[in-house]
Amino acid sequence: MDHTTEHHGGGAKEVRNVTIILTVLTIIELALGFWMMGIDSHSTRIAVKGIIVILMLAKAFYIVGYFMHLKHEIRNMIMTIVVPLLLFVWFIIAFLYDGNSFKNLKNTYDPYKKEVSQTKIEKKEEGKETKNEAAEEKK
Amino acid sequence: MSTTATVTAPGKWWSGGKSPFNVEYGKLMMWYFLMSDAFTFGAFLIAYGTTRFASNGWPDPNKVFQSYPGMPEGSSAPLVFVSIMTFILIISSVTMVLAVQAGQEMKKKKVVINLILTIIGGLAFLGCQAWEWTHLHHEGAWWGSNPFLNADGTQSSTNFTNFFFTITGFHGFHVFSGVIINIIMLIMTLNNVFEKRGHYLMIEKAGLYWHFVDLVWVFVFTCFYLI
Amino acid sequence: MSTEAVLQAPSATHHEAHGDHHHEHHHHETFITKYVFSQDHKMIAKQFLITGMVWAVLGGLMSVLFRLQLGYPDAHFSWLQDILGKFWVEDGRITPQAYYALVTTHGTVLVFFVLTAGLSGTFANFLIPLQVGARDMASPFMNMLSYWFFFIASLVMLSSMFVETGPFSGGWTAYPPLSALGTASPGSKTGMDLWLVAMALFVVSSLLGGLNYIATVLNMRTKGMSMTRMPLTIWALFFTAVLGVLSFPVLFSGFILLIFDRNFGTSFYLSDIYINGVGALPNEGGSAILYQHLFWFLGHPEVYIILLPAMGMVSEILSTNARKPIFGYIAMIGSMFAIAILAFLVWAHHMFVTGLNPFLGSIFVLLTLLIAVPSAIKVFNWLTTLWRGNIRFTPAMLFAIGFVSLFISGGLTGIWLGNSALDIHLHDTYFVIAHFHIVMGVASMFGMFAGIYHWYPKMYGRYLNNTLGYIHFWITMIGAYLIFWPMHYEGLAGMPRRYYDYSIWESFKQFAELNRFISTVAMIVFMTQLLFLFNFFYSIFKGRKVTTLNPWNSNTLEWTTPIRPGHGNWVGEIPEVHRWAYDYGKDGREFIPQTEAVGADESHH
Repeated sequence: MDHTTEHHGGGAKEVRNVTIILTVLTIIELALGFWMMGIDSHSTRIAVKGIIVILMLAKAFYIVGYFMHLKHEIRNMIMTIVVPLLLFVWFIIAFLYDGNSFKNLKNTYDPYKKEVSQTKIEKKEEGKETKNEAAEEKK
Repeated sequence: MSTTATVTAPGKWWSGGKSPFNVEYGKLMMWYFLMSDAFTFGAFLIAYGTTRFASNGWPDPNKVFQSYPGMPEGSSAPLVFVSIMTFILIISSVTMVLAVQAGQEMKKKKVVINLILTIIGGLAFLGCQAWEWTHLHHEGAWWGSNPFLNADGTQSSTNFTNFFFTITGFHGFHVFSGVIINIIMLIMTLNNVFEKRGHYLMIEKAGLYWHFVDLVWVFVFTCFYLI
Repeated sequence: MSTEAVLQAPSATHHEAHGDHHHEHHHHETFITKYVFSQDHKMIAKQFLITGMVWAVLGGLMSVLFRLQLGYPDAHFSWLQDILGKFWVEDGRITPQAYYALVTTHGTVLVFFVLTAGLSGTFANFLIPLQVGARDMASPFMNMLSYWFFFIASLVMLSSMFVETGPFSGGWTAYPPLSALGTASPGSKTGMDLWLVAMALFVVSSLLGGLNYIATVLNMRTKGMSMTRMPLTIWALFFTAVLGVLSFPVLFSGFILLIFDRNFGTSFYLSDIYINGVGALPNEGGSAILYQHLFWFLGHPEVYIILLPAMGMVSEILSTNARKPIFGYIAMIGSMFAIAILAFLVWAHHMFVTGLNPFLGSIFVLLTLLIAVPSAIKVFNWLTTLWRGNIRFTPAMLFAIGFVSLFISGGLTGIWLGNSALDIHLHDTYFVIAHFHIVMGVASMFGMFAGIYHWYPKMYGRYLNNTLGYIHFWITMIGAYLIFWPMHYEGLAGMPRRYYDYSIWESFKQFAELNRFISTVAMIVFMTQLLFLFNFFYSIFKGRKVTTLNPWNSNTLEWTTPIRPGHGNWVGEIPEVHRWAYDYGKDGREFIPQTEAVGADESHH
């Protein structure tokens, strides 16, 4: 039973390259995450989050395509796996849209709840202290 | 219609008597199982997103996840520990790829080494997760209790911790079962089961599962720790 | 060594049990391996069928019991109390708690255990290997597991009937908070836990089965059986399996979150709840609508999981017995594909009045109404297949025609319900009950009956009794319309579903006699099903024996196997396929089996 080059593509070089790509993408994601901490502008934060999501999808592509070898399968098989995933598009849009709408409903028709949810709690420092206490207890 | 039996080259795959994708049925089933599992995780993450969209505020992950073992008192290091976890999982995925490749080349020794490395990676990840869970638990976080405030300083609902523990727990369970599967593969390799069979296809399927676990972590990591 | 080598010799990796042995009973089979832990797809199919039949009787009996309450709200049946005990019947009347338990369990059992496991479990197992030309499923072992997971799920569900606080009673959809809070009602305690366990096991079973069906259809087709030569049954069962594999996991996630809400103090689905006698609950921030979204993301494809196998079998049976090729074969596949996709895009039409965003709702209306297009294509194709056919009115054919009739009349009311504006009035009324019972419940039952009558000779080597079959068909057909047609009027008048007693409502008092009529017919129809059961079991042992290989003069591959095929299906080589499955009435010949080579001067069509 000779092993023909059934699994064309692949090879050590490809694995190395993909590893490097994944690492770089993760580092960029982390850098963006750190950077986002200092930003107060709501719209910029949303934009950064969007970039992070795109990078996430890129990572997913490399893992599925190369580590899981899907890229080297027959085209039809790729389609049977990728096409059903398109269902996620409407799945996500409808769910999140309705979640958002539910929030607006609550805020419109339950003003008391809205007020409560917008009251800042002053025990933030206190929370820190209890955290430290807990840490001390651990020791 | 298709009464005529002219078999053209592209249609040949589909004419019956063979796999149209040139894969054995087990691998096909594994792929479709993973797709179905993707919908399980997808549903979890989408439910998480929906709840977040339906809430007026949400805790800032950078304030919640900012510790690592042996961290000096009072300091904070957001994202550091979880980055380590992410890299552990990526590296274990790489060793799994190498194990699969070694299997295709019928190199038993290389398979064994890479499988062991993968198992170690999986266990290390589980260890990290255990530490993180314990740490959060000491801070008062658990299912049904959330000590953290929203990013804007308002009261947070318990759903932040509820979703965090449920989804990372479910992912951890997948890692755990992946490690078990890999250990079984290791034992089978050591017992020459695959050598006798003449192929290492089973390791390929185990590999698919393991990469999927890594893939899910990419999403969980992004959804919980970054955005 | 590579995949190629394995693909060339499949018996090396799998199929060790039955691989390529060309003799019928090469290895010794004990009673246990043949009838209990069998890995033969035909035996597993029969196991699914008979378990499904047990559940159908139980579920049907439940409907008779709650119809008794609805039809005769003032009567006292003291004998019922002696049979069922005090939890169910008190003072000769079904207790309110029991009434809700009956309605809930009836729904769960019929939708999942009868029409999913019993229908697609039976016929996917039975027909896929036989009709694509495979010796067994891709993985016979997983196939066996699939049945046994279903069996355990059945046991757990059955045991929930006997717990002290009764089975779950919050409706088959198990909406929180009723399903999430043990304090909400007696049925939400142990009964709900058992319900969840049973359903989780059921999801596992259907996944194991579904993956197997997909892999078998893709990988195990015999030589020449290209995808466009497959009978429509296989296409339908294939799409069914795809729907199940992609939608059940979402339900599973929803259940896991529900389990956490029940047991671990989370509030995924809970917010702002006050329970009498318990007080205000601390749960904040969740949303019951989230559960509904997750549930119906499965729940709607589930409708087609139930319906598609029936559609596929009906197509096959109509064509065979009309002695005509199926009209629009490719259009049939296309419309099934369209239905399968749309099934995933329309779930929120079950939730128009929950507070769903109206704009989002309008998109769901559009997508929902789009389903009418492929459905209409299928209906017209069935009718044109019948048109000028040389019809043989076997019981199977009658049930298939009955299916088409029910699908039309039930489908049309679906167009009403799909409009979010009309739904404000019709939601949760008997109109909905009538709609989905006709189009999904009874229609799929008809598909199942058609399948059983048609393939019984292949299953047991004997025929069912025709006379009993005709009686069964006519009473069931007329009965189904008599039961569900009047419900439309009740629904239009605003009569809500799930109420225990309508006689105290001024607006619904007028329906007392109609309700009694419906209940009476329901009992008669139920009795008729017992007649069918008698026919089924009697014929296994005493039915007229099948003497020819191909009793219906059908084209498909299953009729090339021996009359009672052993494990492995074909003695000798698996036949090769040269044509599609619907060459009826071609070139002056009544039928041309798929195995016959295409002649040199044969006409094209």
